Amino acid sequence: MIHLDGVSKIYDNGCVALSDITVDIPKGDFVFVVGPSGAGKSTFIKLIFREELPTKGKLIVNGRNVGELDPSEVPYLRRNLGIVFQDYRLLPNKTVYENVAFAMQVIESSRREIQKRVSHVLDLVGLRHKGKNFPNELSGGEQQRIAIARAIVNNPVVVIADEPTGNLDPETSWDIMRIFEHINKDGTTIVMATHDKTVVDAMKKRVIAIEKSRIARDQVRGVYGYED
Amino acid sequence: MKIRTMEYFIKEALYSLKRNGLMSFASVTTVALSLLILGMFLVMVLNLNNMASALESQVQISVYLQDGLSDVEMREVGTRITKLPGVVQVNFISKEDAMKRFKERLGEQQSLLNALGEANPLPNAFEVKVDRTDRVKTVAQAMMQFKGVENAKYGQEVIEQLFALTKMVRIFGLVIIVFLALAALFIISNTIRITVFARRKEIGIMKYVGATDWFIRWPFLLEGMMLGFGGALLAVLFLNETYGVLIHQVYESLAFLPLIPQYPFITNISVVLLVTGTVIGALGSTISLRRFMKV
Repeated sequence: MIHLDGVSKIYDNGCVALSDITVDIPKGDFVFVVGPSGAGKSTFIKLIFREELPTKGKLIVNGRNVGELDPSEVPYLRRNLGIVFQDYRLLPNKTVYENVAFAMQVIESSRREIQKRVSHVLDLVGLRHKGKNFPNELSGGEQQRIAIARAIVNNPVVVIADEPTGNLDPETSWDIMRIFEHINKDGTTIVMATHDKTVVDAMKKRVIAIEKSRIARDQVRGVYGYED
Repeated sequence: MKIRTMEYFIKEALYSLKRNGLMSFASVTTVALSLLILGMFLVMVLNLNNMASALESQVQISVYLQDGLSDVEMREVGTRITKLPGVVQVNFISKEDAMKRFKERLGEQQSLLNALGEANPLPNAFEVKVDRTDRVKTVAQAMMQFKGVENAKYGQEVIEQLFALTKMVRIFGLVIIVFLALAALFIISNTIRITVFARRKEIGIMKYVGATDWFIRWPFLLEGMMLGFGGALLAVLFLNETYGVLIHQVYESLAFLPLIPQYPFITNISVVLLVTGTVIGALGSTISLRRFMKV
């Protein structure tokens, strides 16, 4: 599903974020990307949805060579990816329902399809009853669940999450992780950058540790391995 | 593009216009003023052109004969003129007729002519009309070559002056219009920039969920076009009203001025202004989108 072959990322200011990364993430995998702050986790995530371009190496996502992708093809790459951020990134002037529907609207889905899918994913994250609320009327955990609903509403093959529990208390974090696990069980690949030791240690999923811009560990049933 | 998507674009554009009320108002006003001035210049230039053409079509050539020609010689000149291609009418005006006309024109100041005594310095002449205005010059030149013809004149200078005036107004107008169009472009592009800035978060999310560049651009482009069209509409309404009043006034007091009738003249100018306004709006948006939205 995701294949990196000798990928490096050097920013314009000369900062080396990733260096010679080779890794393969097959379909249906659940991968935690861990490591100290500034090690290159976020860059790793950003490369996958082509927020950043690799400086060197080959990066294949869902059969597309991301490095050689024409800018006009980027939207079509992203339609197969669901992206979840630490700060939720919901639109404050749209209701919960509209926030989720928005993701389908921009790819011009039909009204009926939108109604069906949005209700389904809101059910899945347990917030169908909050459809008419605005984001500021929801708790942090609820907002993140809406963000997840938006990420999966278009049936992506990969969900990419950058510190999705970073702003949440432990109990809420578990609610969120359970949703991700559920999505993963349906066959969706999950790639999640995180600092949440408890979660990583308890879930026993694949762990890729990035340190000083290189892969330090790649364990099938890994642990967090840092003291923070 | 699906109708529902178009609906979404229009809704978003209208929402933005409302949200940036003050900037929208400033944009519409600037476009309206710029296009109003453009419209006024168009009206002026076209009317001047019309006047010049009207005068040109009424032109007749005065052929002055040398003194001392016999009746036979004069008649011969008349016959030769009649045979020229394009000549439709030839009238003979004798020295005496010319003096009579001149006296009539002088009216109460006829006494000025007393100084001349019995002498009549005016020449015998022919008044010649041709079928097409573009033949005036050739016919006049041909007649000048005839034996016994002193000179052939037509209202060339007046017409040329009128055309020169039209040209000047046109150049002056063009400079002002370019300047105002740039101002309108600038303010619309600024309005759109503010909209883009206010919605940068939304734009970001749209990009993450896979919206194409054009899907993101359309609402902003429409917003610019609506600003341009709105301004043009104001200008058109005002121009239509004022031209109507002007025509009315001119017909009452200066009926001899050949103004172009209001319709379809103003309708045509309105179409030009509306299209120009919309294009300026679209251009303004495009400038902002290219500079401030990396999509």
